[in-house]
Amino acid sequence: MKYVCKRILMLLVTMVIVSFLAFAAFDLISGSPAEIMLGTQATPDRVAELEAQLGLDRPFLVRYVSWLAGFFTGDLGTSYSYSQPVWELIAPKVGITLWLSLISFVLIAVVSVPVGLWASRGRSRLGDAVGTVLDQLCMAVPPFFTGILLSWLFSITLHWFVHGQFPDLGTDPAGALQYLFFAAVAIAIPRIAMTVRMLRSTIQGEMRKDYVRTAISRGNDRSGVLWHHVLRNALVPVVTFLAQTMAEIVAASIVVEQVFAIPGLGRLLVASISNRDYPVVQAIVVILAFWVVLAGTAADILNQRIDPRLRLGGAS
Amino acid sequence: MKKRLLALLLLTGLLSAALTGCGGGSTEQAAEDGQTADGSTGARAQTNEIVVGIAQDLDESLDPHLAVAAGTKEVMFNVFEGLVKPTPEGDLIPAVADHYEISEDQTTYTFTLREGVMFHNGDPVEMRDVEYSIERCADDSEGTPLIPALSAISAMEADDTTLTITLDQPDSEFLSYMTLAILPEDYPDQATAPVGTGPFKFVSRTAQDSIVLERFDDYWGTPAQLDKVTFRIIENADSLVMSLQSGAIDMFTHLTSTQVAQLGDDFQVLEGTMNLVQALYLNNAVEPFNNEKVRQALCYAVDKQQIIDLAFDGYGSPIGSSMYPAFQKYFVEDLTDYYSYDPERAKELLAEAGYPDGFTMTITVPSNYQPHIDTATVLAEQLKAVGITAEIQLVDWGTWVDQAYTNRQFQSTVIGVDASNMTARALLERFVSTADNNFINYQNADYDALFQQAQATADDAEQTELYKQMERNLTEHAANVYIQDLADLVVLRKGLEGYRFYPIYVMDLSTVHYTA
Repeated sequence: MKYVCKRILMLLVTMVIVSFLAFAAFDLISGSPAEIMLGTQATPDRVAELEAQLGLDRPFLVRYVSWLAGFFTGDLGTSYSYSQPVWELIAPKVGITLWLSLISFVLIAVVSVPVGLWASRGRSRLGDAVGTVLDQLCMAVPPFFTGILLSWLFSITLHWFVHGQFPDLGTDPAGALQYLFFAAVAIAIPRIAMTVRMLRSTIQGEMRKDYVRTAISRGNDRSGVLWHHVLRNALVPVVTFLAQTMAEIVAASIVVEQVFAIPGLGRLLVASISNRDYPVVQAIVVILAFWVVLAGTAADILNQRIDPRLRLGGAS
Repeated sequence: MKKRLLALLLLTGLLSAALTGCGGGSTEQAAEDGQTADGSTGARAQTNEIVVGIAQDLDESLDPHLAVAAGTKEVMFNVFEGLVKPTPEGDLIPAVADHYEISEDQTTYTFTLREGVMFHNGDPVEMRDVEYSIERCADDSEGTPLIPALSAISAMEADDTTLTITLDQPDSEFLSYMTLAILPEDYPDQATAPVGTGPFKFVSRTAQDSIVLERFDDYWGTPAQLDKVTFRIIENADSLVMSLQSGAIDMFTHLTSTQVAQLGDDFQVLEGTMNLVQALYLNNAVEPFNNEKVRQALCYAVDKQQIIDLAFDGYGSPIGSSMYPAFQKYFVEDLTDYYSYDPERAKELLAEAGYPDGFTMTITVPSNYQPHIDTATVLAEQLKAVGITAEIQLVDWGTWVDQAYTNRQFQSTVIGVDASNMTARALLERFVSTADNNFINYQNADYDALFQQAQATADDAEQTELYKQMERNLTEHAANVYIQDLADLVVLRKGLEGYRFYPIYVMDLSTVHYTA
């Protein structure tokens, strides 16, 4: 219990820090929202007038504290660009990006663990070479490029989904998830390759350790040892790695949403950054930070289940 | 070594396997499975609706008096109308007004309200709405009015059907400002759920996804032919081409020639003009562009046709001043070749100006406009031939508006300037010394005087002549290096027709329809 409280507190602190950094970053880059809203009709007078209207003429800290106060009372503010409450704008998109991240994550976990186990057994030199090349290839291909290939193959050629026509998640969840699946594959491929490579080298490292030799010399067969002893030890760094993957899935989804024309959080984030629409950016950044920190926490708890030695510090 | 070779072999093997695999699939599947893509477009033909792709969201106020982005006005043209509205031919015809009269001295404009014009919310248009709309745009209590030219109004008188506007001084262009949208008075949600009188009514906007319009059945004029239009936002260039191919969208305006080349036989391509003055805009207040000879040298050093051929596959109309060909009335054709391509002459002028060895300059380009980036790339090569080293600096749109446009902190920039309404003034007023938006810091007493005269005269022919002289002034003094009016390539799925180009930046969908 004490541990959970500690984690929640850390979560809050992390989010406050992240939101502060995002706020500060905006103060450093040039271009004010008022100038962008006025575009080529911007004159110094009009900019000043609009800034006063938006409350941007107040000092930095005042603005931040007032945003933070709003956030903790459930008021995310109003978007400058859309003149709509921020929550109304992002609510339909949170689900889409969440599903996209989840499908990507499940794909990574489900594919890479068996493949990694299988790869760690390989002994032939040719098999190793093929594996390494394939692995390198998958790791090197950026998601936006895989995305274009997948769309071309599965939409334009095979007509398995209609690229550019994302079904509504509420009314056609099956269609929407099918659409998201292809985008998730584009995100997952390089991460699967990395996880496989990592799992393979950890398992091979573990297999050389004394306890494995002892176990085998006591008459256990290799796969039994792998299953009962090695995997537990090899999984700890992999689970940590997968948690970090969550952050990268979120980053990759921003790019992939553009390539697949998916109306998710990522596209709104990119657009809001270039419009300097602070209230929207702040809200999305905090949601994504929450998501990533949550994944880290889940990984810690899972690791403690897998390896009791890790429990010493926290839970009692 | 052997290992590497093996890896390489494997790689090529894999790639070719993948490619042949895909290739085989494509021919087979296209024949038997082509149904799916056709399915969605066929269904749309049944329900008489289309999906139009647009490259940017309407991410600002939808209130037509406050919206500034060209992309927003382009789409919302279908929703709003003024007392008068533009035609594809460049004329102004009565819309919310039934007819109008202009006094001989061009100081009194009398509009008669059309009977039976309805707002999309079901209310009839009344004189108070018209007065409200005009007064709102002319209001100067908070600084500059929304439409500065409306400050010329000295009096407005109205009864139920007639509106008389009196001006301080004659203004033959005043009518073009009466295209301002007529909005219902006392309607608070104009920014998010706009209401107008146009052939289409606004239904919904989903951020970074879509905007939906539907036909307005109580429209006073020729009704729109389509029942429903969905604008889908697709920023990514690859995604756009695939969305056309997959059948997700039926129409897209402003494509590049490269994108058009990737499309198959399912589409027809229409070529119009963007109605933009694309130029290498020079900051006339900074070294070395404060020297007229240097600016002229740049004009001689640039080969417009080569830019159009190399970067735009030959699509585009070369120009020589701040006016584009679609404005036939004001376009001065001979200015286009005023500075014929002559690198030797450019070098001489540079030497005369004190730069025999050339110099280094920066071209600031907004990174979200690929046509301008491509243009700058060719420009830099051409300038190299006369000894000028041009460095291209890409900045995001926000930074460009802030630094280059508002604060005028730039040396040169490639951008397209549009006209906010159908007057020469919309393009030429910005180069008057004192203009707020004179971002190139052009200072020329003759030019300012010509503008004053053009504003003072009530004679249309004389005014047109004065505007032409202003264009000539900009060319002779090489205010900027004028390049072209970009071509506007529009693709429509076969089976759709009726799209018309306008001399201003709008997308009129009221005439688009299915052939069958």
